[in-house]
Amino acid sequence: MRSAVDRYVERLLSRRRPGPFAPTEDDLAIARTAIDLMAASPDSAGPREEFVAGLRAQIAAQDVAATDTAPRPAPAHAGSRGVPGRRRVLMATALTATGAVAGIGVDNLLTRQPAAGTAADPAATDSAITPAHGAWQSVVAVADLPEGSVLSFDLGSVAGFVQRVSGRVQAISAICTHQGCRLDLTPGRDQLACPCHGATFALTGQSLTHPRSVRALPPLPRLAVRESDGHVQVYAPATAPFSATATTSTNPVDP
Amino acid sequence: MGSAWRDDGDVPAAAPTAAPRSALRPSILRTAAYPDWDAIYADNVSRVYRLMFAKVGNRPDAEDLTSQVFLAAYGSLRTSRSVGEVQAYLLVTARTMLAGHWRRTLGHQVTEIALDQDRLQEFAGPARQDGEQSSVASDAPDRIDRILGALSDRHRAILTLRFLRGYTIKQAAAELGVSVANAKVLQHRALRRAAGLQPQQGQEQEQGQEQEQEQGREGEAS
Repeated sequence: MRSAVDRYVERLLSRRRPGPFAPTEDDLAIARTAIDLMAASPDSAGPREEFVAGLRAQIAAQDVAATDTAPRPAPAHAGSRGVPGRRRVLMATALTATGAVAGIGVDNLLTRQPAAGTAADPAATDSAITPAHGAWQSVVAVADLPEGSVLSFDLGSVAGFVQRVSGRVQAISAICTHQGCRLDLTPGRDQLACPCHGATFALTGQSLTHPRSVRALPPLPRLAVRESDGHVQVYAPATAPFSATATTSTNPVDP
Repeated sequence: MGSAWRDDGDVPAAAPTAAPRSALRPSILRTAAYPDWDAIYADNVSRVYRLMFAKVGNRPDAEDLTSQVFLAAYGSLRTSRSVGEVQAYLLVTARTMLAGHWRRTLGHQVTEIALDQDRLQEFAGPARQDGEQSSVASDAPDRIDRILGALSDRHRAILTLRFLRGYTIKQAAAELGVSVANAKVLQHRALRRAAGLQPQQGQEQEQGQEQEQEQGREGEAS
């Protein structure tokens, strides 16, 4: 009775990776049904935060390595050119071995860094977002952002909060670093809360609580911001469709 | 039942239904462009993961496939593009990676990612609200309903306990008042039924008879 497909199903049910086997047509139908039913598993909700942070770090490492290479044409050829050093070797191995990128699993282990830069340190330099093709866009009049105040803004491509702390203007993203939901100011206007899972962030962008995990979420990215011509301006992509309709939670302002 | 995933609902309860899609707003407009790679990643990593999970049913494979998608797509998506283009590209890449995964493991396309317009819209849909109910922005709950709804009570019960409520086979057996061996048989048959397969030869010929057999065995077991 204990067939290979039963073991396959048991592996799924125990939330582990199932092993390969040579399935019959019936086995395939059973496996497919089990996979469908696994949609009820808590694991289906989203990736682990450690995984998200780890892959982000891995991509960032790749970014440094491939800074001035031409864009690569297709997924099937990923890694075939423009990626120096160890990555290229690993990728080449993977391509010859399987015709796909099976080597990534190995690479994961090698490049996985303590994701401290993104996960734990709110001052991490890579948490600042500065678009390559952007423009300074007004979000609120300087006069409407007195010391200690916080206002939300939405430029279409970038949504965030601006605030004045110790005389200086700061801006952070309004997108939760867990699953990308739009954060709201708490009624006390001293924290940001996520409507999706209830995560909260300090106005510095630092993760405070996250009900689904004991780990802190990565901090909210800081946005480039300045005061100019009597306006608080955020550097954001110029192509934003709604750049002319910046709003704040209290005072809509004509840019 | 420490390992139960859910404590809500009766045993044969159907999976929760999805919130109306229209009630949720997309976080980034599809016509907008992503400011940088990090925004592409942040906006899509969960989508890709949930899509992959729906196709492979386990976290280790879903995470590996998600990594493969982003690392492979990275080169082509370094420059900013419209949200729609990026997501279409990720979906194509995901399809390729999933096909490779099945080729390497079971040698058959057990599941695949269709590339029609509906699929893209579904993929681009807003992140679903939370864990308990969310899977891919998808019809998964409906599908579970459909699968379980077509089964006999006992078949539905065993699959509900094991897949929806996270019971071990032992816990499920206790709950149903049968031996562990019988619970395994019941689960196997329930899955075959759910998969639309006929009972294996030498097993039950029809539902009623099967019920009797199982109940007979329960009597022996208890």
